[in-house]
Parts: sequence; structure tokens; C-alpha cells
Amino acid sequence: MKNCATFGPHMIRMSKRIFLLAFLLTTTLFRGMAQTAPGDDFMRSMGKMYVVVTAIGIIFLGIVIFLIYLDRKLTKLENQTKHND
Amino acid sequence: MIIKHGWKLLGVVILIYTFIVGLLVPLKSGILEVSPQSVQPGRNISFRVLGYNTHYLSGEIRAWLKMDEEYTLASSQILIQNDRELKVIFGIPRFLPTADKVQDFTLLLDNEVDGAHLLPSAVFVTQDSINPAMGRLEWPPERITDLHEKEGITFPFRNILAETIRNTYFHVPMWFAMIFLFLGAVFYSGRYLRSKRSVDDFRAFTMIRVGVLFGIMGLLTGAVWAKNTWGAYWSGDIKQNMTAICLLIYMAYFVLRQAYEDPDQRARIASVYALFAFAAMIPLLFVIPRLTDSLHPGNGGNPALGGEDLDNTMRMVFYPAIIGWFLLGLWMAQLSFRIERLKERLLENED
Repeated sequence: MKNCATFGPHMIRMSKRIFLLAFLLTTTLFRGMAQTAPGDDFMRSMGKMYVVVTAIGIIFLGIVIFLIYLDRKLTKLENQTKHND
Repeated sequence: MIIKHGWKLLGVVILIYTFIVGLLVPLKSGILEVSPQSVQPGRNISFRVLGYNTHYLSGEIRAWLKMDEEYTLASSQILIQNDRELKVIFGIPRFLPTADKVQDFTLLLDNEVDGAHLLPSAVFVTQDSINPAMGRLEWPPERITDLHEKEGITFPFRNILAETIRNTYFHVPMWFAMIFLFLGAVFYSGRYLRSKRSVDDFRAFTMIRVGVLFGIMGLLTGAVWAKNTWGAYWSGDIKQNMTAICLLIYMAYFVLRQAYEDPDQRARIASVYALFAFAAMIPLLFVIPRLTDSLHPGNGGNPALGGEDLDNTMRMVFYPAIIGWFLLGLWMAQLSFRIERLKERLLENED
């Protein structure tokens, strides 16, 4: 059980880091894409199709983050059952 | 087995359908740009027209500048540059049949393949000397007849939106799914307050968890959409602000849960809070945005989406998309719920 107590804050720190990383990644990525495109703005090229692509990407990322979250919860439970055994 | 898990499969099948149809159906033809935008009357003016999804090389093209139902001006000459580019020449009479100094005109194009397509307020004509009586004489009576319609299944073309109209199947269902999940949380919270069974509380908790995730995804997808159509990620639109507040209210739900050690007390307080949070959400999302002006369609007096923003073809994808995303959200909530239930059982075994 003592092990679990030290596990908690560490996990919170980890999740904060993952969230920050995802946030930084998305924001800088989009800014970079918008600036490096030659001539017409990349996001607005091809009838602004990339706006839709980005939206789908965000949703995909959100679902993946949720999966990571569930995965970590399950791992915690699995560790607990190991303690019980 | 199939009955128990069928709804998950149904959700996935519906989503696959919305992805395929929502992304592959082409847009109608449209006009992206007309230049010059601002002209003076009494001369021949050559306009450069940039089309979208157009096939100007195939078939005869006709063009009109339309002021209203009565006054329309046919082009004197059309030079086809390529499939997407035209030079249209209009001989604009000296006087306009209006007393306004500045009058906007709709550019209307028609050919067999692309059908009739137009750009509202494409050209602004500024007249120095105003004489509506002369204008009415100089504008020949013109009838627009035999307009074509584009064949096949298409989504509407909206000048600023262009392809992003497809976000209707991704951004908008996020909110619908969020609201349905919160509604489910209201149901289970209410049930908890009567039954006092912790599973009901867990159902509500996990539905709110997924609902908030959908809300965040809705905000982010909306921000990217707004940047490329309204010009800024966050323009302080009433609906943006109110949704942000609504999400904060629901995030406080998690903070509230953290504050109580005792599971029964936590579940009771959280259930009551979930009811109040939903009650607070209704005016924030459905009432206040309609009372003032909003950039969102279907706000500022008008209660629903419609017309060119959501036509019947789009509805065939939009409504299934709502069901599909909601079922996916329900599945995610259920997985989360099963983990919470498992956790509780393990804790019970420990005691």
C-alpha cells in the first residue's frame, strides 16, 4: 500500500506532462503549418479542407488521450490486485 | 452477445458511414472570388471570376449581375480562361434604378454541368449622380430563364465555409453527444438520489467525464474552424463564452468529488450538483446565445439551422453523425464505468 501512496502524485505529474505536451504539440504544429505554406495559407488551401482534417485529428487525439487515461487506471487496478494476491 | 454489444457496433457502423459520405460527397459549384469588387457605372468592366468545383470549359456559360427580382443585367461577353477562371464583361448603364449611392449586386453564373451558382454581394457599384428614373429606363428588362441544376448528390457551397461545411458532421455532433451524455448523467444522478446505489453514481460520473471530453474536443475543433472562417481562434462569441462557462461548471463537478472522502457523501453531493449543473447549462447554451447576436448560425433570434447551412442532403449525414458520436461516447463512458465499478469491488474485498 505504501508503494501506491507514492504512486499517486507521480501519476498526476505524468498526466499533467502528457496534457501539456499534447497542448504544445497541437498549438505549435498548427502555427507552423500555417506559416510555412507557400503562397496561399496551408489551412485555407484546397477549399479549407485541412480545417476538417484538423478537426478530425483533434477528435482522434481526444479519444487517444481518453484511452491512455483508461489504460493507466486499469494498470493501477491490476497492480492493486497483485498486492492482494 | 449481439444484442448486448450491438449498439456499439451500430455506433461504429454509423460513424463509418458519416466519415465516408461526409468526406467524399462533393460540394456544389460556387464562386470564390470576383474582382474588382467595387466599380463605377457607365462603362464596360471586365471582372475576373474564380470558381470552385466548376467546369467552365465544358458547355455554354451565361452570367448576370442581379440587383433584385426586377433588375438584372446580362453579361456582354464571357472569356473562358480555364475550368476555374472566367473573364466576364458587363456594360453597366450610367444610372442605377435605385436611389442608393452604393448598390450591391449578386453575380449569377449558369452552365449545364455546374448548374446555377452565385455569389451574393459580389460587386458594389458606386454612383456619383443619382437618378432612379433614368436608371429604370436604361436597365433593359431581363428575364433569367432555363437555369440548370447540378446533378448528383452534393453538399451546398458557402463562400466562406467552402469544404469546412463538412465540420457539421464532426464539430456539431460533439455538442449533441455532450448534451445527451449530460442528460444521461441527470437521469442516473436522479436515480442515485432515490436508490442510493453507488453504481448509479458511477454511471453519472463517467458520463460527465466523457461529456466534458467531448465538450473540450468541441471547443478545440470549433476554435480551428473559427480561425479559418471568422478570423480568430476565439472571437468572444456569445456561444463560445457560454460553452466555456458551462464546461467550467462541469469541471467543478470533478473538483467537488475530490473534496469528499466518504463515498456516500461524495455520491450524494455530486448527484445533486450534476442536476444543478444541467439546469445551469440550459440557459447558457440554449437561451442566452439566442438573445444576442452570435456568429454561430441558428442564433440571435433564429432557433434552428436551416437553408443553405444545412440542406436535406446534409441532414442525411448530420443526424446519423449525432447518433454515431453519441453511441461512441456512451461506449467510452461504459468502459470508464466498468473500471470504476471494478475499483469499488476491489476496495470492498480489501475491507
